[in-house]
Amino acid sequence: MLHDFFQWLQTGLGKAGPDAPSWSEALLGSLNFWSLLEGTHLLTVMLFFGTIMIVDLRMLGVVFRRTPFSEMSAKVLPLTVVGFVILITTGLLLFFSKPEEYYHNIWFRTKVILIVLAMINLVVFHFRAQKNQALWDTAEKPPMSVRIPALVSMTLWLLVIASGRYIAYNWFECGKPQSAFLNAVQECAASEKGAAGPEGS
Amino acid sequence: MNFSHYFPELRPWVESLVGVWPTPLVKPNFAHWEVGHIVSMFLLGGCLIITNLRLIGVGLTSEPASTVERNLRPWLNLAVFGVLFTGVLIGMSNAEKLYDSQAFLVKMISLVAAVIFTYLVMIPVAKADGAVGPLPKAGFFVALAIWLLSIVVFSASGGTPPGMIHVIMAGALVVFVATRGKARWVYTIGLALILIAQQIITHVMITDPYDIERLDPANIWFTRAEGLWVILFAAYQIFGAKAPDSPRLTRLVGYSTLLVWVTVAAAGRWIAYAS
Repeated sequence: MLHDFFQWLQTGLGKAGPDAPSWSEALLGSLNFWSLLEGTHLLTVMLFFGTIMIVDLRMLGVVFRRTPFSEMSAKVLPLTVVGFVILITTGLLLFFSKPEEYYHNIWFRTKVILIVLAMINLVVFHFRAQKNQALWDTAEKPPMSVRIPALVSMTLWLLVIASGRYIAYNWFECGKPQSAFLNAVQECAASEKGAAGPEGS
Repeated sequence: MNFSHYFPELRPWVESLVGVWPTPLVKPNFAHWEVGHIVSMFLLGGCLIITNLRLIGVGLTSEPASTVERNLRPWLNLAVFGVLFTGVLIGMSNAEKLYDSQAFLVKMISLVAAVIFTYLVMIPVAKADGAVGPLPKAGFFVALAIWLLSIVVFSASGGTPPGMIHVIMAGALVVFVATRGKARWVYTIGLALILIAQQIITHVMITDPYDIERLDPANIWFTRAEGLWVILFAAYQIFGAKAPDSPRLTRLVGYSTLLVWVTVAAAGRWIAYAS
């Protein structure tokens, strides 16, 4: 069902006539706009990941040990939020340019799952460790309940970056001979390129 | 304009790099080295943003600039090393393409400026809590000249190249963060009006998305208008607004160091688009 929806998004939505491109196709075929969108998405990670990394390092007690966490949070996290908003906006538009292809891409699916896990980690940190912030705000080395989410956050965002980069590579593309597992996790059977079994099978 | 244009005699050597160690080891794992390159770049971004916003007089203002620099220095150095080390490796794996790429030439010129800005200007200025001594001052003007050269080369691909838009956007964000009160409102509304006017002209008045003859000049002029608007308010923030612990040249150092690295990154991304 989702495949059909994304296929419609890619080839149907906004199509003014039989020879006219859909909005998705127009975006993908744009002269410079798609490149600017992707470039903005990538460069904004410098803002988002760069700042969240510094905050996580503070939570680990590695940098700014004498700066209260509340100070870091108040002055640095707004930049992280701006970065995240730009990333989500550009990310959704990039997805819209090739929704069917991304839907059947294992690295895109991995990236989305990792982002969701990172958000869950943030919520867990907020509701568990952050309620007692006054107790550890000025601590040079915060307690484990703070350090663990920081380490998890850094790891997850690093994996998000890696998965995002690997999307462009066709190692496990649908239609290529590969294991049933890879075909299943990408729902290749429903895709245009179909599911091909391992070579020699 | 590219390296092959200026150094044509190097082509045989460039072509041979694909067989030079460690390229045969790097090429099959190119994607992973690329990830290393961009992760280093993102870490670098974080260190530069925090440090240079402090020099501009915003961000972690409760800490002296020297404290911010000292805390981030090991990570900055790690990031710069990472970017350069992985950059050389992936460059060797892709040597011929880069040799013929104008965007790569821009990246290398702006990289020289970026390294000078970082190590000869930003770090000494931050260590001195914003005071700009004679050597950093000289470094600032040298690096600025090299950076402007890279922008000229970038722009030589036809008016205002799309890659420069990233530098303008980054500048726009920095100005937004740095301005306060009414100035921020005026700035934001003005920028929004220019962007809206651009969309009306390029999507409502010019309806054919492939009408390059009319779209290109329109987009170029609007991009220049946006750039000028950003520069105007950056100038106001640097020379007009009050920031007692951040002298004017210090703020200029903050802006320049950030934006030169954005130029490096934007030109790097544009290597793929321009080919």
